[in-house]
Amino acid sequence: MDIINNLVKDIGDGIAAAIIGLLGQGLAADIVIMAIAAIAVFAVASGGFAALTYAERKIVARIQDRVGPNQAGPFGVLQPIADAVKLFTKEDTTPASADFWVYQLAPIIVAVFATLTFTVVPFAPGVVGTNLNIGAFYIIAIGSASTIAILMAGWGSNNKYSLLGAFRTVAQLVGYEVPMLLNIIPVIMLTGSMSLVDIIERQTGVNGGWGVPFIVIMPLSALAFLISGIAETGRSPFDLLEAESEIVAGFHVEYSGMKFGLIMMGEYMNALGVAVMFSVLFLGGYGGPILPPYLWLVLKTFGVFLVLMWLRGTLPRVRIDQLLNMNWKFFVPLSVINLIMIMILGKVFVSDPALFKANGGILIQPFAQVIIFGASSLALLILALAVVTRRVRKDRLAEAEVLQQRREANQQIAAAMH
Amino acid sequence: MTVAQIVFILLSVVGLGAALLVVTTRNLFHAALYLIASFFAVSGFYILLEAGFFAAAQFLVYIGAISILFIFATMLTRTVRGMVPRNSQWQAALFVSVILFVAMLLIFSPANFSLPFGQGRTFGGAEWQFAEVPNKPGVLRDVPASSINDFGRALVDLNQYGIALLLSGLLLLIGMVGAIWVARERKPREILAERARMAAEEAEERAKAAAKAPEVSVAHAAVAHDAHHH
Amino acid sequence: MLNGIPLYWYLIVAAAMFCIGLYGALARTNAIAVLMGVELMLNAVNINLLAFWRYLTPESPAGLAFAAFVFIVAAAEAAVGLALIISVYRNMNSIDPEKLDLMKL
Repeated sequence: MDIINNLVKDIGDGIAAAIIGLLGQGLAADIVIMAIAAIAVFAVASGGFAALTYAERKIVARIQDRVGPNQAGPFGVLQPIADAVKLFTKEDTTPASADFWVYQLAPIIVAVFATLTFTVVPFAPGVVGTNLNIGAFYIIAIGSASTIAILMAGWGSNNKYSLLGAFRTVAQLVGYEVPMLLNIIPVIMLTGSMSLVDIIERQTGVNGGWGVPFIVIMPLSALAFLISGIAETGRSPFDLLEAESEIVAGFHVEYSGMKFGLIMMGEYMNALGVAVMFSVLFLGGYGGPILPPYLWLVLKTFGVFLVLMWLRGTLPRVRIDQLLNMNWKFFVPLSVINLIMIMILGKVFVSDPALFKANGGILIQPFAQVIIFGASSLALLILALAVVTRRVRKDRLAEAEVLQQRREANQQIAAAMH
Repeated sequence: MTVAQIVFILLSVVGLGAALLVVTTRNLFHAALYLIASFFAVSGFYILLEAGFFAAAQFLVYIGAISILFIFATMLTRTVRGMVPRNSQWQAALFVSVILFVAMLLIFSPANFSLPFGQGRTFGGAEWQFAEVPNKPGVLRDVPASSINDFGRALVDLNQYGIALLLSGLLLLIGMVGAIWVARERKPREILAERARMAAEEAEERAKAAAKAPEVSVAHAAVAHDAHHH
Repeated sequence: MLNGIPLYWYLIVAAAMFCIGLYGALARTNAIAVLMGVELMLNAVNINLLAFWRYLTPESPAGLAFAAFVFIVAAAEAAVGLALIISVYRNMNSIDPEKLDLMKL
């Protein structure tokens, strides 16, 4: 069992040992090992990208009662390869009035920063690109760089639709970064560390901790993180940045060939990154019984991605005003209230005797703590949803009334004209 | 040459080159992009200095927020292209900058780079002591592993930086409210009304001044009075 | 990470960046470009703060705290400065600092 569980780590260690044997301990060996690790991380990310394009097309097709790709290979499994070949052989065009270097660099930056997310993700115990002590913060920071790339693409193409798409993107991405960060902070607070390995170990109960995933302790944060994560990657129902029925294709309307492919790849990897982050931060990452750890991470990530596909297949696109209202008037205040609540609960109900001695509070069992946290988070969520539902219904009724009045007025005019 | 030195030189070439382009290019959008490249290099310096938190914060604050603000302001003011790269006092500005740089170079560089004035490395009675900070293993202390935790505790500790952190939160809040208020959209009618009010006030002041000093021509006061009424 | 890099390298790079920013702040004809120069200067200051922290007092969080406050002030400064510039543009239709001389005699 241990052999299977440690398979990835052992392979990695074996390769590293072989290279050190070949080149000797030193700089050259370090560089080769780092290069191999970088290629491995990129291979995982782009392999996930290829598999997910196929899965998404099939599953969304099933949701919409279509068949999906079924020509290339059995059940169309070779479709990603066919797509890649098509993108590589297409003509690579540049608009005559484009801002040349800005236009050329934008897709590369999108793809690079999307891949950089995966360097801190722990795939299994001991299998992590680099265990940064600021991992969770790093991911948010890297994610913010893609905004610039999209702005570059939109401006560089010198096209009205591109620029409109880029502006929408910036309003959306900059806004949703705030609730995303605000909902990672509770996780960091309860872990006491920003390292993703520490966060996972806290959830699997390796070095103390509750041994339950954070989604049980903070369902509200998990939900808010997931929704703002979807908005952050610009996927449907938040795909205003490339709304094909409104602004053609948004910021990448002028891109063709492999540059378009890079942008698509960057977007998919961002979505995959959000799914991985969600499973690491809230679902316990590689932790889980029976199955080997890396398989658990893959399963959890795919489960989260399934939710993303499901939302994409079923929900209509939101309007820009709804999107921004939801962010600034709902998610941000709610996240702040949630943060304050968890702060107070964490001070009042203590399970660690040492902390109790130092700060006081009420000493309770860890499982009671989990129940208190989870119940209050859930209660806050239900309360917030109730308030918002009432408010939105009122707004919608008022809107419908205005529409009705207008319709009646129009009918009267029409009748008078006849 | 160690790897760190090579990385340092690459970063300084990128950072300073981009900074030079920021202050010389005509296209303001390009200037903003060069500014981002410069920020990027600075974040690389932070990584070299083992301040990873600040490298990430540099990304989040400067690249993710401030430079986007710059690009937005550029586009909102329609001044992207065709900026005159230098104003009339540019020679003076260049002179001041170069002199300042040479002065700092002389102060910061190591002792064997001897100063053309003064004795040794004494400035106004105080000795410049940081140029020769030793950089050998064992002498240069390591950053403790709990550095980031200590930093966090110091920020919330009221005896250390707690008050300053609260005040800076207040500063950010005031800055945000102020920015929204200053840049709020106003209807042309409001602006015209405000201008008319200001003109009226000015005319009133003139009228008062004319009343106080009768030797000023009466016609002027009458005109001002007229303007006040219309 | 600091293998073979003396402190004064950082100080000189920061000094160069500060002077470039100073030139930009003094010699540009667009208020946004002037603010860019100011941002460069703030970055140079931050390099110095963190370099001194790393080489002289790596155990104390003081250097980090100062750098953090520079970040905060820079963010507030950029937001308010750009809001002012946009407001000025709306009223005067120009953001060339030399042309904004309403208060001059």
